[in-house]
Order: sequence, then structure tokens, then C-alpha cells
Amino acid sequence: MIIVSEEEDDSDSNPLFFLRQPVYDSVLNINHDYRYLRMGYYVSAHAETFGVEVTPNCTEIMDAYRNPLLMEKAKRNGIRTNEYRLITSVKSEFNAPVLLFAVNPFTNNSMKVVDSDSKLPEMIKRMSMGARFPVSLHPLTGEVHEIVQMFGESTNEETLAFTKRFYEVFNIPICKLVVQIDDGGVVLNHCEPAIKKEVKWDIVHDKMHEIKQGH
Amino acid sequence: MKIACFVEAYNFEIKSEEKALLKFKSTAETMGHSFEFIYKDDISRISDYDTLFIRATTDPSSCAYIISRLAEQYGLKVIDDPHSIRTCSNKVILHDIFQKNNIPSPGSVLFYGDYSHEIIGGIFKSLGCPVIIKTPYTRFSSHVEKASNIAEFIEISRHLLRKAKVLVVQEYVRSDFDWRVGILRNEVIYLCKYYIPKGGWKVKSKINGKNVWGETIAVSRDTISPELKDLSINLSKHIGTGLYGLDVKETNDGFKVIEINDNPSIYDGFEDVIDNDIYEKIISELVS
Ligand SMILES: Nc1ncnc2c1ncn2[C@@H]1O[C@H](COP(=O)(O)OP(=O)(O)OP(=O)(O)O)[C@@H](O)[C@H]1O
Repeated sequence: MIIVSEEEDDSDSNPLFFLRQPVYDSVLNINHDYRYLRMGYYVSAHAETFGVEVTPNCTEIMDAYRNPLLMEKAKRNGIRTNEYRLITSVKSEFNAPVLLFAVNPFTNNSMKVVDSDSKLPEMIKRMSMGARFPVSLHPLTGEVHEIVQMFGESTNEETLAFTKRFYEVFNIPICKLVVQIDDGGVVLNHCEPAIKKEVKWDIVHDKMHEIKQGH
Repeated sequence: MKIACFVEAYNFEIKSEEKALLKFKSTAETMGHSFEFIYKDDISRISDYDTLFIRATTDPSSCAYIISRLAEQYGLKVIDDPHSIRTCSNKVILHDIFQKNNIPSPGSVLFYGDYSHEIIGGIFKSLGCPVIIKTPYTRFSSHVEKASNIAEFIEISRHLLRKAKVLVVQEYVRSDFDWRVGILRNEVIYLCKYYIPKGGWKVKSKINGKNVWGETIAVSRDTISPELKDLSINLSKHIGTGLYGLDVKETNDGFKVIEINDNPSIYDGFEDVIDNDIYEKIISELVS
């Protein structure tokens, strides 16, 4: 297995070098950002072109990073979500408070919390860019947390069992998750790239070692 | 069967595109299927259908990708499938596939913004002059530029790299037209010549500040040269079994593939003029 990482220590290759070479072995791609059109994505795409196994693969990346796909996959695999809706305009059945996530090609870190019904139409109009793109609307039922998930580990102790399951299902080595915590436990709302300095790289290094030794 | 056709309002703006969409609908209905246009507000009810045909512009960042992937997961037959969208929408990934599989194509390198003498000199030495510069996500010939010297190369690439992480730089291959080879399930279903307008070098060129499209001339698929046919089918097999449109230049040195598109344009009175059974062929594939 080749480990490709933007953090040079311990890795076999950095993304730029990796992208110039043919690939003959399975690949573990470690990056804080796997978004489409970013280096993290190209590493996985390059490995796929050479027909080798790669973690994460491009389907897994897209399934995690595009909100409706994230929600559907979570539901199918028994990860708790709350009833999200894809909308381009306000319909009467939605009541604040809600979380909104833009589903367009341009926006990142797009979470907006709307706590009053009267603010909903304007916010949805803005986030949908005038009804051109859908917005993913999630009811707000708990306390919102942003956590960083690294190989199933979490920056928030309370969510450890949840991030472990998330990693099993989604196979994304590093990402930021937006979750709500309520009486029933953890609810998944969104996945986006982690900010590099928020990642606990010592945890990532330990996991990398474990994986390397296991091979 | 219940066929969903995912479109956006702009698909009905050009008469010949609207007419083609209506031909798909009437063909499907004549064949005993229902055919319904659906829009982004209908994404969540895609599992109500048996098969999905996407005519809205595709890209991994678009709604079309979301509906394609959801439909695939619900077990619908899908054109364009998510893998084809991810692969064909990205020029960097296509560059990789062409190199790995020795697809005859213009000389091509990836450029990440290293402006050292060695790298820039190397590009012009290996590709000649002028060179073509493309972003990964070019569409309808936008973000495809020609640089005739190093100064132009630096200016254009710096500008494009503000949005893209990487660019594809290619040898310039001159031609009067691009062959468009329409492929479905790894068979040729139509053939056209997309002419380059006079005074331009792209099928859609800016001439005197105005966008001008070249002519489209349909050619019988039966007359395709064996070399072009083999090349096109072979490349399509590296992507999948969906509906594709290849752009290929014919040169003294043989055929050179420019790109393979998912979601190829099909307009009434253009691609369908000679091989007008493409509607039946596509509907049959969707319900197979
Ligand atoms: N290396 C090249 N040499 C000469 N012309 C080229 C080259 N690459 C692209 N072109 C021309 O530029 C135009 C657009 O190129 P390309 O097909 O790569 O991009 P695109 O934006 O995906 O195109 P479209 O969506 O219009 O098919 C085409 O007319 C093509 O013939």
C-alpha cells in the first residue's frame, strides 16, 4: 500500500509527486480536503485511472461531500439523520429553527442557522441563488457541534461511537462533521473539508502506522 | 416503463433542443413507455421511476450528479451514470486516461503553476507553439485558450490558475472541423462534422467580440472510417457503456482525440439528420 499525504512525515509520496507517476499498488490518500477539483480528489481519481484500490475512492468522496447523498447513505446505513428536505423556495410546512446547507458548486462551509420563520424566505432565496440551486433544510432539534473525524476518532469525546460508525460507512479518513446532539444521541447533518490546523495530526500519524503495520 | 428525463429550464430555450426533447418523449410513448420531464425540485422522488435520462448539463458539482447517483443507488438504469459524469467532466482525469491507455491525442502535459525556466521551456519544447491551455472543467469551449508565446502562456495560465489547481496544456492541432462520434453502449449511433467558424479555431469561437458557432453537418454512421470507429469504441470502453460524444481531429498523422463527453448535445435538425433512429436507440437502451 502506498500512503499519499500532504503531511510529508511517514507518507510514501506527496500528492504532486504521486500524480506524475503510474500506480501499481493500493493507495491510502490522506488529506484534510477531498473536495471535487482539489488535490485530495485528484489523488483518488489518479489511483482509480490505474485500476487500483484507493481509500477513499471518488464515489465515496462525492457521497460524503454532497449533502443529499450524505443524508441518503447515512439513512441506508442506520446513521441517525433528521428529516432533511431539498428545496428551492419556502413551503409552509417548514418551521424555524432550521439548519440550511447550500447545494451549489460555489459555496463551502455553508451552514446557516435560521431561528425565525420570517427570516427563512430571504435566506433560502440567497442560498439557492434565486432558486437556481437546491438548499438542504434540516430541522434544528439539538445542540449543534462541529467535530473533526480522523479515521473514526473524534475531536469530541462525546461523539466517539458516532465517528467510528461514520468512518466504517463513509470511509473518509479526515473530515469535519456538523452534528446535533440531543437526548437520543448524535444526529448527522453535514460533512465538509476539515481545516488543516483543526486536524489532530498525531492521531492521523498513529492511525497511519497502524494501517501500515497491518499490511 | 416510467422514464424520468432530468432537465432544467434552459434546455427548452433553443427551439431545436426543445424539439429533440419532445421527440424523445413521443418516441418513448410510441414504444409504450411513459416519459416525464423532471426538475431539481423533483430530485427526492426519483425512486418513483424505473429509469433516468439526464439532459441538463452534467458536472460533479451540479444537481444532475446528485440525481444520477441517487437513481443509481435506487437501482434505476441511468444515462448519464455518475462514473461517466465524474470522468468525462474533468479534462485532467481524461488526460490521465488518455496517457494510461495510449489513446492517440494531442501531446499534453499537466501544469500546476511552476513558472521555472526549465518547466516553461520544457512545455514549449515538447508541445511546440502555439499551445492550448484548458481548465479541468471547461464546457462549451469556455476556459480553452491558445497561447502563441511564453508571455501569453504566463498571462493566460496565471489567470486560469486563480480558480483551477491544475491546467492541461496541449499541442495545438489545427483542423477545419471536429469529428463528433456519438456512441451508445460502445457502438457508433451517429456521426457529424462540427465545423470551426471562419476566423476562429474552436467550434464555438469569439470573432469580432461575438460568439459564433460553426456549422454541424451530419454524416451517415455507416461511412465512418474503420480507424475512427475502432478508436472511438475503444476509448468509450475505458469510460463505460453510456451515451458519449467524442471530439476527434483528423490529421496527416492520423486521428487525435480531443475529448469524450458524457451528455452529448442532440438537437433536432443537427445530429439526427441522417441517422434519425437515435431516439429509438437511446430509449431502447434506457428501458433495457
Ligand atoms: N489541442 C487542441 N488543438 C486544437 N484545437 C483544440 C485543442 N483542444 C481543443 N481544441 C478545440 O477547442 C474547442 C473546445 O475544446 P474541448 O472540446 O477540449 O473543450 P470543451 O469546452 O469541453 O468543448 P465542448 O464542450 O464544446 O465540447 C473545440 O472546438 C476543440 O476542437
